[in-house]
Amino acid sequence: MTETVSAPKMSAHDVKVFYGDKQAIKGVSIDIDMDNVVAFIGPSGCGKSTFLRTLNRMNDTIPTARVEGDITLDGENIYSSKMDVVQLRARVGMVFQKPNPFPKSIYDNVAYGPRIHGLAPNKAELDQIVENSLVRAGLWNEVKDRLSESGTALSGGQQQRLCIARAIAVDPEVILMDEPCSALDPIATAKIEELIHELRGRYAIVIVTHNMQQAARVSQKTAFFHLGTMVEYGDTSDIFTNPREERTRDYITGRYG
Amino acid sequence: MTETVSMPANLPAPASGARKTDWMGQTMQKRIASRYAAERRFKFMGLAAVVLSSLFLAFLLFVMVGNGAKGFITTEATLTVDMPAATGSISAEQLTGPRLSATIASIDVRRIYDNAVQAQYGKDGSRFFASTAWTALRAQLTENPDLILGKAKFWLPTSSDIDRAAKDTSTPEAEADYAQLRQAGEVRQTLNWNFLTGSDGTDPAQVGIWGSLKGSLITMVVTLFLAFPVGVLAAVYLEEYAAKNRLTDLIEVSINNLAAVPSIIFGLLGLAVFLQFFAMPRSAAIVGGLTLALMTMPVIVIASRNAIKAVPPSIREAAMGVGASPIQVVFHHVLPLAIPGIMTGTIIGMARALGETAPLLMIGMRAFTTTPPDGFTDPATVLPVQIFLWSDEVNRGFVEKTSAAIIVLLVFLLTMNAVAVYLRNRFETRW
Repeated sequence: MTETVSAPKMSAHDVKVFYGDKQAIKGVSIDIDMDNVVAFIGPSGCGKSTFLRTLNRMNDTIPTARVEGDITLDGENIYSSKMDVVQLRARVGMVFQKPNPFPKSIYDNVAYGPRIHGLAPNKAELDQIVENSLVRAGLWNEVKDRLSESGTALSGGQQQRLCIARAIAVDPEVILMDEPCSALDPIATAKIEELIHELRGRYAIVIVTHNMQQAARVSQKTAFFHLGTMVEYGDTSDIFTNPREERTRDYITGRYG
Repeated sequence: MTETVSMPANLPAPASGARKTDWMGQTMQKRIASRYAAERRFKFMGLAAVVLSSLFLAFLLFVMVGNGAKGFITTEATLTVDMPAATGSISAEQLTGPRLSATIASIDVRRIYDNAVQAQYGKDGSRFFASTAWTALRAQLTENPDLILGKAKFWLPTSSDIDRAAKDTSTPEAEADYAQLRQAGEVRQTLNWNFLTGSDGTDPAQVGIWGSLKGSLITMVVTLFLAFPVGVLAAVYLEEYAAKNRLTDLIEVSINNLAAVPSIIFGLLGLAVFLQFFAMPRSAAIVGGLTLALMTMPVIVIASRNAIKAVPPSIREAAMGVGASPIQVVFHHVLPLAIPGIMTGTIIGMARALGETAPLLMIGMRAFTTTPPDGFTDPATVLPVQIFLWSDEVNRGFVEKTSAAIIVLLVFLLTMNAVAVYLRNRFETRW
C-alpha cells in the first residue's frame, strides 16, 4: 500500500442483491471510513436503502432477498458463517426512516440495548450509559425530568433523536441512517443534522437521503445511486459542483429524479 | 428545490370536453334527489335491522328471566318436630365437641321426619314435601344442634307440584294442598340456595347447578392449560420463524379449516382418540377438556397470529437494529404488544368452548351425578349439557330450572366477553 490513509472501516466489493428473480443491486463497491460521513443519494427505487440494509444484514429478514459479493467490517466478512448477526447489528447500528421508539419509557428505550448485551454490570452504570447516550443525542435537557414517560409521547423529532440515542447506547462502530429526517419538520431536521456533525469521527456514519441539500450539508463523501448501480462516489464538494458523470449532473440539477 | 421536474408540453384536454356541465339543471337535481333517497333508504334499513335484532335480544332476555327467575326461588312449608319425644333423652353433653357427629349419626332422622309429617299432615302428608326434605331436616339439625334438645318448627322444601302451585299452575290436588297450607300460614317462598350449591337430581325442586358448573370449570381449566400455550407457541412459530412456503401455506389453510369444523366432529375425534385409543375414562372432565382444547386451539392460533401480525414491523426492526436476537425480539417486544389481542381471542375461544354441547355428548359427558366432580377423572357434566338434559325431562318442574341454568350460563358468557372487551380497550390503545 502506498497510500497513508487508514484501512476502511467497512468495505463492500461487487455486492449484488436479488429479491427473488429481480436484481436490485448490480455490483456495488465502496469503502467507508471513520472520518467521513457518507451520503447515499439517488432517485426512489435506485437501491440505496437496499444497499444500506445489506451493511448490517437487515435484508436477512426478507425471505426472498439474496446477497452476493463481499462486505467486510474491519476486514472481516460480515456474510461469513463465523459472523454472529446479532453482534454485527450491535456493532453496526441503524436509525430508520420513521421514528420507531419502543412503546416503553424513554429510559427503557435507551437502556434496552445495553441490557440485552450486558454492557452495564449495575444500575448506576446503566444510568450513566443512558445519560451519556441522551446527552450525545442532544435530548438529555429535554427529557431528563421525565425519563419514565413513554417514548412514544415525544414529538417526532425528539423520537428520532431518542432512536439515535438508543443506537449509540450499545456503543456501535458504524451508524446507518435510512432517511432519518424524511418524517421531520425543518427545525427537527436541523437538530438531527447538527447531531450528525457532532457524532462524526466517533462513529462511521452512512446516511441515505432524498434531500440533496442535506447530503451537501452533512456529508464529506457522497455516492450517487441509479437503477441498482453506484454511478459515482467521491468527495461531496466534487459531486455537487463538478460531477464526472452525465447522469449525476442530470440528477443534481433536477433534470430527472 | 432542485428536484422539480419540467412539465410535458402537450397535456391531454380535460375529460369534459367542450360542453359545459350544467350543475343546476333538472337532470342534475333529479340525480341529487335520488342520491339522497338512496341514502335515506339505506339508513332506514340499517336502523330496522338494529331494532329487529334488539327486539329479538330483548325477547330472549325477557322470556329467559321471566321463566328462569322462578328457578332461583323455592317454596317451603313448616314441620314441627318434638325432638326429645322422638329421640328419647339426648343430653347437652352429647352435643359438645367431637361427640356431636356421632350423636347426630345415631339419630334416625328419616323415621323422625316420617312420624312428624304424619302427625302434622295426616297419613299421606309426605305428598306435601320433597322426597329429599328429610335430608334438609338433617342438615338443619347438624348446623344448629341445639334444636335437638327441644320442640322446634322447621322450614322444609315442598314437593315439586306444590312449588309449581305456588308459582304458577299445577295439578288440582296440589293447588288444593297449597291453598290449605297458605290458609294455615305454613308456607313461604325463599331464595333457593340449593340451586346454586346442589347438583343434579330426579326431583326438580331439589336440583342444583353447582355440580355441572364445577364440571364446566374443571373442563375449562384443562382446555385453557392445553390450548393456550400450544396455540400461542404455534402462532409465534408460524408468524416469526417458519419459512413462507407451500408447507406453511398448507398448515395455515388447515388451521383455518379446523376452526370451521363443526364441533360434533371434534366430539367424534375425542371419542375415537381419547376414549377408544387411549382408553381414558368415560364422562371425565379431562377428556372433555382435551376435546374442547382441540376445538379451541385453532381459534387461539388464528387470533394470536392476527395479533402478532398487527405489531408494526418497525418495532421488530428497531429491536433487531440494536442487536436483539430473534427470541428476544419475540419475547421483549412482539408478544407484550400482541398479548391483549391474544387474550381477547383466547377468552372468546374459551367462551365458545364453555357453551359447547355436542362434542361433550359424544364423549359421554352427560353423567347423572348427584355430587359435584372432585377431580379431572370423575364422571362429570357441564352447564350446557345439563341444560340440554333438563330440557329433555318430562317433569314440568324442570322448565324453570332449565331457564335458570341458561341464565347462569349466559351470565358466565357475558362476563367473559366483557373481560375480553375490557382487555382490548385497556391495553390496545397504547399508540
